[in-house]
Amino acid sequence: MPIPELEKPIIKGLIQKDKVVIDGLELDGTWNAFMIERTQTGYDPSVWDEIANTVEGNTISLCWQCGTCTSGCTMREYDPKYSPRRFIDLARKGDKQSLMELQDSLWRCVSCQKCTHRCPKGVLVEEVVHAIHNYMLKHGLVKKDPGTVFDEIFLEAVMKNGGRISELVLGGASAKAGFVTLSIRDLIAMSGPLLRSGLIKDLMKPSKVKNWDRIKKVLEEAMNEEVTPE
Amino acid sequence: MSTYGKVAFYPGCALDGLGKPYEVSLKLAAQDLGLEYEKIEDYNCCGALEVKNVNTMAGLLLPARNLSLARSMGANAIMSACPGCHYSLSRTQYFMTRYPKLSAKVNAYLEKMGEKPYDEQLLMIHAVEFFYNTVGPEGIKAKVKRPLTGLKVAPYYGCLYARPKAYTLTGYMRMKDDPERPFFMDELLKALGAEVVPFEAKTMCCGGPHVYSDAETSLHLEARILKEAKRNGAEILVTDCPLGHVAIESNMNKIASKYGEDLRMPLAYFTQLLAFAFGHGPDETLLTANLTNPMSVLKRYL
Repeated sequence: MPIPELEKPIIKGLIQKDKVVIDGLELDGTWNAFMIERTQTGYDPSVWDEIANTVEGNTISLCWQCGTCTSGCTMREYDPKYSPRRFIDLARKGDKQSLMELQDSLWRCVSCQKCTHRCPKGVLVEEVVHAIHNYMLKHGLVKKDPGTVFDEIFLEAVMKNGGRISELVLGGASAKAGFVTLSIRDLIAMSGPLLRSGLIKDLMKPSKVKNWDRIKKVLEEAMNEEVTPE
Repeated sequence: MSTYGKVAFYPGCALDGLGKPYEVSLKLAAQDLGLEYEKIEDYNCCGALEVKNVNTMAGLLLPARNLSLARSMGANAIMSACPGCHYSLSRTQYFMTRYPKLSAKVNAYLEKMGEKPYDEQLLMIHAVEFFYNTVGPEGIKAKVKRPLTGLKVAPYYGCLYARPKAYTLTGYMRMKDDPERPFFMDELLKALGAEVVPFEAKTMCCGGPHVYSDAETSLHLEARILKEAKRNGAEILVTDCPLGHVAIESNMNKIASKYGEDLRMPLAYFTQLLAFAFGHGPDETLLTANLTNPMSVLKRYL
């Protein structure tokens, strides 16, 4: 594992001119391109520590950067910027800026668990990627993404509806949040079989947990507790 | 049955909602085979793949309460039919056994809720493993009244049925399925007389947690599963995962209009096929409640 430098020069871009004339002579070839150099600062070594100190992100330190997680990743097929290996690398270096630039990819894990399953070093990759994303959210470095919005809707629905979820409750809440859900055509196609089988009755009245109010109170208390992996 | 000792059944919210056909048919199939399990009546949501991302403690406490309820019933093993629940419960067990102080905190909250502390003694099993390890394909073959000879099926297991190995303990013993190339459901379906086609998408992802929030990607992923099944000549996609099942069924129209009408394919839960082959009717097994109408291919066996 190379020790990350505290500063790194990065090439921001090239200035290319069609015609460069110096002292009356016209330059050609590669002489007409100039690099703009920018120095990136702000590596934050505390990122690694903070993530390693969460229950989910604890295994981040085991990573060997082999890339097994990323080579089989479901999401990478659809988003070439999605790379658990890179997320881990950047988080360990503390390169928050690069992680911020990846914010449209960072949230897209579908939790298929191929990475966690295949990791030869025992990194719980799916958990670690979520821990990195949670770090970024917690510190306000990324905007709130649709995945997190949905996760929060889900938790709220569990809390409000007596500890259980029904597709109707979840679908309704998601529609309210502006996610694309089922079209009228789908709903018509769905209602036929559901009515015929009488299943619609079960869907309309989702059952509740007994004593949910008491459990809910304890849950709310527990949710304020900071937990560490020990 | 002695394989597992006393089995508690965790239905999960999916099986009480759109996954009702799964629960009903699971019960029928188990009864016919003489398998016993006790349902956890006062269960709560396991938090699925969502709650854990929002709050660590809520993500552990919700499943832990169910585990505690199962132990209060005197169970030795907890069976989930939904791989998502199976994963959540196993995850909690993993973190609780790994971190003793965390486990003590979870147990303290459980006591506040009025539940017993969880002693980490349960074995987590999925419904497919339950059938395979108790009666097995031989026991199933003996009960078949309506052989599904020549029915070409593609078994879809879903991502979380056997993954990751750290949580579900797969790949270490013969009682657990192979995490990359599962075959337990194949064997069960073969015992019914069905022909299991080669299927590369057995454990491919359906985009589950992002079905709403990243709909386009989910459609891509679901279309891939259907394409693999079609390419190998399957007539019906057999699932053991209510999340994947409901996602593919309810997105079928969108998939068909975007990726081609020929991708349309009926879906059924594996327990529905079991119960159907044991002689139960389409209404009894709720095969009529599946949105994609599996009776269109199954009616020739009536």
